[in-house]
Amino acid sequence: MANRQTILVIEDEKTIGNYIETILLSNEYKVLRAMNGTTGLSLCTSHHPEVVLLDLGLPDIDGMEVLQRIRGFSGIPIIVISARSQEKEKVEALDSGADDYITKPFGAEELLARIRTALRHQLHVGKGQMQPPVYSRDGLVIDFERRLVTLGGNAIHLTQIEYKLVSLLAQNAGKVLTYDFILKDIWGPYADTDNQILRVNMANIRRKLEANPAEPHYIFTEIGVGYRMLE
Amino acid sequence: MDKKILLMNFLTTVGIFVIATLLAVAFFHYSRNSTSVAIIYVLAVMLVARYTSGYVPGVVASFLGVACVNYVFTYPFMHLNFSIDGYPVTFVAMAVISGLTSMLTTQSKKQNQILNEQEKFLMEAEKETMRANLLRAVSHDLRTPLTGIIGMADAYLADSGRLTEDEKSYMVRSISEDANWLLNMVENLLSVTRIRVGGTRVNTSPEPLEEVVSEAVQRLRKRLPQAKVQVQVPEEFLMVPMDAMLIEQVIINLLENAVYHSGTEKIDLYVVREEECVSFHIRDYGRGIAPERLEVIFDGGGTEGNESGDSHRGMGIGLSICKTIIHAHEGSIHVNNWEQGAEFIFTLPLREDKGNGKQTNHFGY
Repeated sequence: MANRQTILVIEDEKTIGNYIETILLSNEYKVLRAMNGTTGLSLCTSHHPEVVLLDLGLPDIDGMEVLQRIRGFSGIPIIVISARSQEKEKVEALDSGADDYITKPFGAEELLARIRTALRHQLHVGKGQMQPPVYSRDGLVIDFERRLVTLGGNAIHLTQIEYKLVSLLAQNAGKVLTYDFILKDIWGPYADTDNQILRVNMANIRRKLEANPAEPHYIFTEIGVGYRMLE
Repeated sequence: MDKKILLMNFLTTVGIFVIATLLAVAFFHYSRNSTSVAIIYVLAVMLVARYTSGYVPGVVASFLGVACVNYVFTYPFMHLNFSIDGYPVTFVAMAVISGLTSMLTTQSKKQNQILNEQEKFLMEAEKETMRANLLRAVSHDLRTPLTGIIGMADAYLADSGRLTEDEKSYMVRSISEDANWLLNMVENLLSVTRIRVGGTRVNTSPEPLEEVVSEAVQRLRKRLPQAKVQVQVPEEFLMVPMDAMLIEQVIINLLENAVYHSGTEKIDLYVVREEECVSFHIRDYGRGIAPERLEVIFDGGGTEGNESGDSHRGMGIGLSICKTIIHAHEGSIHVNNWEQGAEFIFTLPLREDKGNGKQTNHFGY
């Protein structure tokens, strides 16, 4: 009980703040609340929370600026709270250092899952540990050391690029990766900014891994933002 | 501005008269008949009245015409002489005819303008009525779930001590159901604003068909876990130009509609590649749609007269929004009744049309 993790909630809407606090408290997290960006920033420096939940629409400072300022001094996981229709805003937040986003309205399960993912990734980075050498979920096994992918025991033949894509997503399982991030990571910083090539490759992967490409089980699309792999 | 119009009028008048005079000279050269020449000038006056604004050019032109005929084409040539036998009558008649025609044309032009304005006004009024109707339907559709939410919550707070666990969980479940319905409503309205902002066209960019379909189904499952949707997309990888967010909304609306109104839970969603388009089929195996509603189902009517008794879910707005979205994509949408159940079909064109040749990529890349 001594080591309860602290979560800072920067959210100006009281109802949503209360709702998040209720969920977090009943799941044994410690909660700090800030109603605006200034308080949020100062709480973040003084209390060193483990995760920050940040609403982008704040009354005093633009949420994007709060995000950049926190990133200026810390690498703690930041989960952005955003409305569904603003894919541009989500992409911008992710590309300027947010770890993940959650779309309003969200359920308790979804919020807790995002926080767990963020904490786990933080753990790996913080202790300088390598990712576990194998990703294994529901019959799909990716062995990063032997560069081997099997599905239900059968080896799956992926091209070089396809393997890189799958392993990148698997190493960040549960986290959404933006098109831009994936393109830069796999095709290098001078890659064409057109994401068509990425989407064609994803389609090929889907045909190799998923039983029905229209009902994916392992890799999910977040249209306009990027891809997320089953955690 | 006024000077410009004046200049235009002057140039038009002079131009028409130069042409008329040339014609008249040629004609006179062959026939020596000054009456026919007068007719040419009457025609010229009419044209002047038609292509200039205001009465003045027409009246001036009619006097000019009379003067020209007198000066050039009647004896004594190159002299103004109104005293020749019989000629005064001709001249006066010509002046009156030209004057009258010029006034008549000007007047009819004005009337045309008024008619146009009236038509525009009527169209505006019609749009206003449509907007008012939509607003009324929306507030009705919003008020229904809200009443449920408020009522249930109040009842819960008032007697939470006396309620059984079952009753409590039923109440909370129905609150959550109504709230979800409200959310869908708001998302639908949001999609409409996405179209209205840029007129009737939408920003399309090529999107992988299967990704859009899968995300729509995923979101529906989150909201209605009881729905059994079977999905089938073409094996071939297809990029279809669309606004993904809007098409997703259409698919969700149609699926949700099928869940709520068919009375069954099994739904098929399959996509077929046709020659110039892709067609999306949403098929249920329920009670089907009343024949008299088939024609008007996309026009945003309420659910009055729906014998199935599920009137707590207005379906009018969702479907009329589907129609708006699909038409903005230059696709088509319609519904068929089968022996068992109904099938909604919508199509999206595969090729981007030339007017929108440059793809708009709204992801900010």
